[in-house]
Amino acid sequence: MSRTRSEERSGWLFVLPFTISMMLFFVFAIVRTAYYSFTDFDLFEAPSFVGMSNYTALVSDELFLLALRNTIGFSLIVTTTQTVLALALAVLVNHAVRARGLVRTVFYLPSIMSSAAMTLIFLWLFQRNGFMTAIVSVMLAYRQHILLFLVGMAALHGALVLNARRSYEGVSIFDPFFLLVAAVGALALAVSCALAGLLSVFDNNLPISWLNTQRHFLFMPVTLWSVALMNVFTTVPTLMLLFLAGLQSIPSSLYDAAEVDGANAFQRFRHITVPALRPVTFAVVTMGVIGTLQMFDQVAILGDAAPLASRVTLAYYVYENAFPEGASSRIGMASAAALVLGILTITAVYVQKSLGVKEKGE
Amino acid sequence: MMASTPAAKVPPLRRRLPAGALRRRQLAASAWVYLTFLVVAIIMAGTFVLAFIASLKVDPLERPFRIYFDQLNPAAWIAAARLGQEGAGDALWGGLAPGAKVDFSVTYAAPADATIVEPRAEVPRRRPGSGIAAALMRHYAADYASIALRSSSAATMQARDEKGIRQGWQTRTFVYEITYRTDRQNGPWIERTPLNLTAPTSQILIDSPISPSRSERRGRLLSWDNITPGALGLIFNNYRRVINETADLQTGKSLLGSWLGNSLVIATGRLVLTLVVASLAGYALARLKFRGSRLLFAAALFSMTIPAQVTFVSNYLIFRDLSLLNTPWSVIVVFVASANVLLMKQFFEGFPREIEEAAIVDGANRFQVFCKIVLPNAKPALLVNAILAFQGAWNDFFWPLVLITSPPEALTVQVGLLSLRRSFGGAQGDWGLVLAGAFISIVPVVILFVLFQRHIVSTQFAKGTQ
Repeated sequence: MSRTRSEERSGWLFVLPFTISMMLFFVFAIVRTAYYSFTDFDLFEAPSFVGMSNYTALVSDELFLLALRNTIGFSLIVTTTQTVLALALAVLVNHAVRARGLVRTVFYLPSIMSSAAMTLIFLWLFQRNGFMTAIVSVMLAYRQHILLFLVGMAALHGALVLNARRSYEGVSIFDPFFLLVAAVGALALAVSCALAGLLSVFDNNLPISWLNTQRHFLFMPVTLWSVALMNVFTTVPTLMLLFLAGLQSIPSSLYDAAEVDGANAFQRFRHITVPALRPVTFAVVTMGVIGTLQMFDQVAILGDAAPLASRVTLAYYVYENAFPEGASSRIGMASAAALVLGILTITAVYVQKSLGVKEKGE
Repeated sequence: MMASTPAAKVPPLRRRLPAGALRRRQLAASAWVYLTFLVVAIIMAGTFVLAFIASLKVDPLERPFRIYFDQLNPAAWIAAARLGQEGAGDALWGGLAPGAKVDFSVTYAAPADATIVEPRAEVPRRRPGSGIAAALMRHYAADYASIALRSSSAATMQARDEKGIRQGWQTRTFVYEITYRTDRQNGPWIERTPLNLTAPTSQILIDSPISPSRSERRGRLLSWDNITPGALGLIFNNYRRVINETADLQTGKSLLGSWLGNSLVIATGRLVLTLVVASLAGYALARLKFRGSRLLFAAALFSMTIPAQVTFVSNYLIFRDLSLLNTPWSVIVVFVASANVLLMKQFFEGFPREIEEAAIVDGANRFQVFCKIVLPNAKPALLVNAILAFQGAWNDFFWPLVLITSPPEALTVQVGLLSLRRSFGGAQGDWGLVLAGAFISIVPVVILFVLFQRHIVSTQFAKGTQ
């Protein structure tokens, strides 16, 4: 009896520092945010109660609706892309046995870098006359060659496969050997055309606005697409390592058995790899959702390099309302928007979790 | 190719692929794997390599993008070392000091029918860049250096014109001597010696120890930012500039230096605090039965999903009311170490109970057990936590942005990068400084990563296999 009581006491003493920080900086902070969301408060005068008016103001604020749309769109796109890419890369690396150790080192660098340093590097890359523009310009200049390569490769590959299928069975449409032969052949064709000067090289010197632009692509500003590209670039390696660890814990006997049963590569992936990776996938998607919904650093560092409407996200909207430049704080609005952001995150995580559980039950 | 061999005999029935062809397919498949892998690795690592190369350039935005320029050219390093040695007796970092006698030779070329005139040479009063340091600069090389033509010699060379026809061109080499004026021998050490050469556009500069930094007025005016750089001063010019030119107007101290110091203090502080909090709480959650432990665990999980933007107003006010805003303490303390607690909990759960229980039977209390038995055996987990805490605190952007806003030297390096971008990455487009700042800021975490790579990667792996 006394043993359990002393355990109870020491338990509480042990968690005391953590509990204090949790209560003060988290629980109390959320409660206060909820309270401020019903008040008018500028950080200096005492808050005055205004009921739901902050929320009604939010709903009619164009910038808030824009931020909400941007955030959701950004989150969907980045989470999906990075999960799929990370999984694909992990499967790839898992096959590239010899390079695995190197992979861990090379691919880890982006994930230990700070978002600030990373954003600066990408800002340089995405300048109007920067490196990214140069790459696009080169591709545009050689567009005929690229097209020739693609068409040539497809034609050559198709011919090889059709020819082989006349005499042999079991030649897949994506036969790796023929693909390789076709790629080499098409490359030789394109290079010799370039050397002989048969195709025209287009001259262009277009400065492309990746960041400082109001343009939209699909439902999201081009600026945020650029940020999304950067985000995917930074997170994919880490997520890939998670998937890779998951892949390596799948016993290879499962694959061997399936191969004996005549399952093809896609079927093996669909029925062994995907179910076995479900817990990792859940972790990866959750991390992705949380990370993208609160995307802030990149947008803040962009600052005046891009118009506010093209880069605003919910997290930035909250900050912008709390500490607006050259205006007094609108803590009520900021708090209300912050709560919306919090609820959105919880909902997204919860929905994702329940979907994952349902799939597991199948 | 295997498809062409049977085409001659055209067998009536389709056969299975022969063993050799299957083997070829396996090889081709792994060739694709490694090819794709190579492409991805080039994209990943290439971005950083390119950005680093660009960070050495005078103008990182130059088009076309060259990867061969003075900063990557050993011949220019040697020339820069000689110039630095002659300028200030410092082959590494250069400068201009009393007693300097610097030989700087330039060679111009022109078609045979034109004449090559002596370029007008001067050491201009030029400020370095556009940053705050320009206002702090007190000594100009122009006030202390004198420049004179020492000799010139003519020669001829063969050049091809646009049509590829060889032509005889004449060349002339001018050797200038830049000296520290003898009447001002008590003058100061000066960091850089700029040089302007003005010559008609008909003559072209074909050789100089180090390339001009800029060419203006259609090549009429060639200007060097510093002709006495020293080898490292040449290569890491942007790095030196970002340290010197982000200076505080009052004290003249480097802001980047104090930002790095602040970040180090904050990251170390948070590391210590995190280790204490997380090991205690992690142990209690893993081992001890007490009321509320499940609730605390749930709260820890929950707190990891809530963005900092939800809690920052209240936390900002807490530190304002305590007058701790703009101090490192606020950023050290504000962190809720949920992830670290959960990591420690997980480690302690896999820790054998027997030893502890034996110690408790012997009459030791929980805290003694924790300090004497548990902690010494938890070194791997503590190390991983320390690394994660340090890295997280070093890379943190949001809390320092909110809690430390002034004075400029109180910022952390990440927020400092934002102000770097504002002051250099805007209209001036001085991207060399911005990139140099970014690369300096990642040095500590890269060192940490190199030292403890195994531990960090295995933690990620452990997370994945859970």
